[in-house]
Amino acid sequence: MLDEDAQIMRWLSPLEPNDRHQGVRTDRFDGVGDWLLETAEWREWRETQGGAEGAVLFCSGNPGVGKTYLRQVTRFMERGEYH
Amino acid sequence: MIDALCDRAAEENIAVAGLYCDYLSQQDQTVTNIMGVILKQLVGRGGVPKDVREAFQKGKMEFGGRRPRLADLMGMLKIAIASLPRVFICLDALDECLPKHLPGLLESLRDLTQECPKTRIFLTGRPHVGEDVQRHFSKAVVLPIIPNTDDVRNYVEMRLNRDDEPDAMNKDLRGDIVRVILEKISDMYVGALGVPTLSTMDTY
Repeated sequence: MLDEDAQIMRWLSPLEPNDRHQGVRTDRFDGVGDWLLETAEWREWRETQGGAEGAVLFCSGNPGVGKTYLRQVTRFMERGEYH
Repeated sequence: MIDALCDRAAEENIAVAGLYCDYLSQQDQTVTNIMGVILKQLVGRGGVPKDVREAFQKGKMEFGGRRPRLADLMGMLKIAIASLPRVFICLDALDECLPKHLPGLLESLRDLTQECPKTRIFLTGRPHVGEDVQRHFSKAVVLPIIPNTDDVRNYVEMRLNRDDEPDAMNKDLRGDIVRVILEKISDMYVGALGVPTLSTMDTY
């Protein structure tokens, strides 16, 4: 990356998203959270078309569950199976 | 079938940006910085866009080098999203944001979804932030996450298989460990949240 590009990235935000993402990859545990993709809530969110109101899926739970499910969803999205 | 394949090809270019909120860096997790880190991930894929570079150069000329304002970032984000087929924003552990930042954060996300309908947002957090989410997104889909019995059992089995003193283990003890942990977790969640029991969750 060019020097200025690196500066621009730092300028946009001092936060670095990848630090904890690495940790999540390391302790990945296959299969956990697969059921999420089978829920009615997931389908409802996935199938809602446009509009601000239905754009959000909120998974409520205690600490620790989020990362697992987030990773699951991200993997699903990255596989290109969204919609 | 062809439609399905075309859809799939189009979706392969999906952009995902996310942040794990963390109480250790609460002070840095301002609305501006969170929007900035989302933008950073979206533009990081295909080179810095012209408008972002110009805004940076303009900011640099000002005394002491001005940091981007929220309004600047929102404008740049909307432009970046417009050039992508679909954008998926994930924010994990919303409750770890400082409460004073949460309403502003949700407001900015709402602004994005209104102007960029292809944006989808996935949030996680403790149940109490659900009210804040629903205040900003009245039709938000809320999904209570409870560890599913199979997930917990598989995890415990995996840990038991890694036990470094396998001679001290026998089938009965192993069975007891799995059973007690599953019972405890079930009590914990049913007691704390008043949610369905783990056995009913199996239907997922």
